[in-house]
Amino acid sequence: MKSVIETEHLSKWYGNVLGLSDVSLQIEPGITGILGPNGAGKSTFLKLISGQIKPNIGTSAIKGERIWNNYRLFSNIGFCPEQDAFYEDLTGWQFMTGLLRLFHFSPSERESRAREALEIVELMEDKDRIIKSYSRGMRQRLKVAQAIAHDPEIIILDEPLNGLDPLGRRKIIRLIKTYKSEGRTIIVSSHVLPEIEAMTKRIILIHQGKIFAQGDIHYIRDLIEAHPHIVSVKCSDPRQLASKFIQEDFVLNVNFSSAEDTLLVETNNRDKFFSLLPPLIVKHNIEVEEITSPDDNLQAVFDYLVGK
Amino acid sequence: MGRKSSKLKVFFLISILPVVIALIIKVNQFLSDRTPIQGIFIFNNMSVVIYLQFLILLLALFYGTSVCSEEVEGKTLTYLTTRPVSKSALLVGKYAAYTSLAIIMTSIGVILSFLILNLDDLLNFSLYKTLLRDVVVLSLGLMCYTAFFTFIGTIMKKSILFGLIFSFGWENVIQYFPGSTQRFAIVHYLKSLLPVPKTGRFSFLMVRLEPSSPLFAVFMIFLITGVFLGLACILFSWKEYIFED
Amino acid sequence: MTIKEKGYTHWDGEFLDKKLPWWPITRYGIKLTFRKKFFKLIFPMSLLPAVVFLAGIYVSERLEDFKFMFRESVPFLQINPAYFKTYLVDNFMLNIMIIIVIFCGAGLISDDLKHNSLQLYFARPLKKRDYFFGKTAVIVFFLFILTLVPGLVFIIMKLVFAGSFKFFLSYPWLPLAVIGYSIFVTAFFSFYVLFLSSLSKNRRYVVILIFGIYLFSDIFWAVFYEYFHNHYFSLISLRANIQQVGAFIFSQKTPYPIPWFYSLLVLTAICVLAGLVLKKKVRGVEIVK
Repeated sequence: MKSVIETEHLSKWYGNVLGLSDVSLQIEPGITGILGPNGAGKSTFLKLISGQIKPNIGTSAIKGERIWNNYRLFSNIGFCPEQDAFYEDLTGWQFMTGLLRLFHFSPSERESRAREALEIVELMEDKDRIIKSYSRGMRQRLKVAQAIAHDPEIIILDEPLNGLDPLGRRKIIRLIKTYKSEGRTIIVSSHVLPEIEAMTKRIILIHQGKIFAQGDIHYIRDLIEAHPHIVSVKCSDPRQLASKFIQEDFVLNVNFSSAEDTLLVETNNRDKFFSLLPPLIVKHNIEVEEITSPDDNLQAVFDYLVGK
Repeated sequence: MGRKSSKLKVFFLISILPVVIALIIKVNQFLSDRTPIQGIFIFNNMSVVIYLQFLILLLALFYGTSVCSEEVEGKTLTYLTTRPVSKSALLVGKYAAYTSLAIIMTSIGVILSFLILNLDDLLNFSLYKTLLRDVVVLSLGLMCYTAFFTFIGTIMKKSILFGLIFSFGWENVIQYFPGSTQRFAIVHYLKSLLPVPKTGRFSFLMVRLEPSSPLFAVFMIFLITGVFLGLACILFSWKEYIFED
Repeated sequence: MTIKEKGYTHWDGEFLDKKLPWWPITRYGIKLTFRKKFFKLIFPMSLLPAVVFLAGIYVSERLEDFKFMFRESVPFLQINPAYFKTYLVDNFMLNIMIIIVIFCGAGLISDDLKHNSLQLYFARPLKKRDYFFGKTAVIVFFLFILTLVPGLVFIIMKLVFAGSFKFFLSYPWLPLAVIGYSIFVTAFFSFYVLFLSSLSKNRRYVVILIFGIYLFSDIFWAVFYEYFHNHYFSLISLRANIQQVGAFIFSQKTPYPIPWFYSLLVLTAICVLAGLVLKKKVRGVEIVK
């Protein structure tokens, strides 16, 4: 698939502080999650690809066109900034229609787009209240609304779920997935791992301004051969099962849960382990309730990569 | 983006204060036995001086520096720079909006002052030429000063102090320098478009040593406006604004 | 799930009242002011007049040595209450004070409003009066350095250079006058600046208000005087009122032939109004209608 956003050796300094270091990426249509702790460089990266700041080194292009000072590209880009800043004395409606004016839509189209966006984020009832009186969640939803109102092909969302309640989060995640199915390109940043996991499998891990890993989460996990996998088996006789595994060289460690009903096996060869497990279960008549991989998730990958 | 703000109301009230003075003077004239001073004399000596040397400077300073600083300090610049509008257009648009606001506020004050002070001479249509001239000069002044302060606001973070020093230091002093030096003050060109009041305590404030020709003065006002606005556009387009956390 | 382990303990001791709860606010305000680049240049320059006047006190004691510089007698080098009044009350010092309070005072409350810090302040064991006191003390610090400190230094150095207490015996009330005037002018500017700072979250706007109101009050007084020739219009001007009271404190002829206490009343009324507005504006919770 042809990439929509391309960066080459993108680097940014803030004085002596390195914000982003030598980032070369190609982002394709679909949802791409930018994941990293606070201060990792996520916002810097998003500001660079959306043309809000200039790179010190490198380039950033959208559909082959340089983004810095290229205002024409913004008719197709929606950006939701991280900072909580608004024209506080305006109402939600005035804010939306005012910004839509800059797209040269007709008055009727402006109104219909503003209405649609506010309906999506469930702010229609409060559209005539001044933004100063909005709650944190409402302000966040308004930010998302202004990013989507003009129906952009590329949507860049910097921590869009901040301040939203669980229901609000689900709705925005569902919206983002809908946009993905329409073929749009969505880049979402967050420091909350379950949020990103709920949206996409395609992630970019950033830490201290550098890209640590990029790609499908499971693919990244599998690549980390040095880091053993943990498999959890909840069964009727975990100790008997453990005794069968303990002699295998690909089993590095065996632990039991506090309830003594789960076996935790640390292995450096998941494939071999899973090929051995079923015959053992059958042979010794062990009732298995559940088999999971507790560290086959973003948290574990991230923790490992950032060295925790 | 229009801003319904209390600041607008405050500045409007400030620009109406000379009207209050005019009203007090007029009421006093009606009530006292003294021979009344001609309204146009008071208008030229007082109102225009207050507007020209003080009010338009403050208005231009606040609104001019706000063009850029307001969006950066309020961190709302992102909403504007992520629209398909060039940065220059954004800057010029905001400049035009603020200048128009300031001109309207000032013009209302000047017109009301004029009408009040010349209440008994309103049918003398030759006086309206004076009013029109003064409104035009003040508007040109606002246009020029706001462009200059827009440029200052784009390049400097702490533009207000520089603006105050420029307005009430440089402009008030350099205009009285002989020779070509006085031409480095914007107020020199504005005063070149106005006649010198013959008498009055404030007549010295309207003195120009060697006035420029009206045509040259207008040309220079437009040139200064264009140059500073152009520079502001260029700087605003190329500068990156990093919001303070 | 029961808590099996308490990772904390209750404090069984007494909570002691902090002696100066407002001091951290003041200290931080002073630190912040000194961090401003321009202020580091302007503040020393604002002390130049004090240096010049101090030099004048030295020269006054050594007039014989400096006689060659002056052809005639130099009445301006007579060190008397008028000399102190000239330094402390004249236009140049008031203008310097305005510039200094713009730097140190404009953002005192407006920045707190902008960053919603009031909730943080009043979520601590801090009373409103401590908050105001802390903020006021920032302005007091800088204005006392401009007024009280030089004034007292002038008296001390005059005695030192003269080598006798003659000056003090001639004007025993002078130190009290210096202290009284410093407190008076500092109190007024504190109320004035804090009041305007509480009106807006935008510091630039506050700077313009501080400067504009001070300047315009003077312009309007001049305009009204030009037309009405009535000195009572000087009560409009903040500068004129301060100078009226200042002249009285230093037992000098007031600049305008109107009773000095009218000026004091006007300034007091402004302070009272400022206090009432501050009490209303500064609160832990912002109510948005």
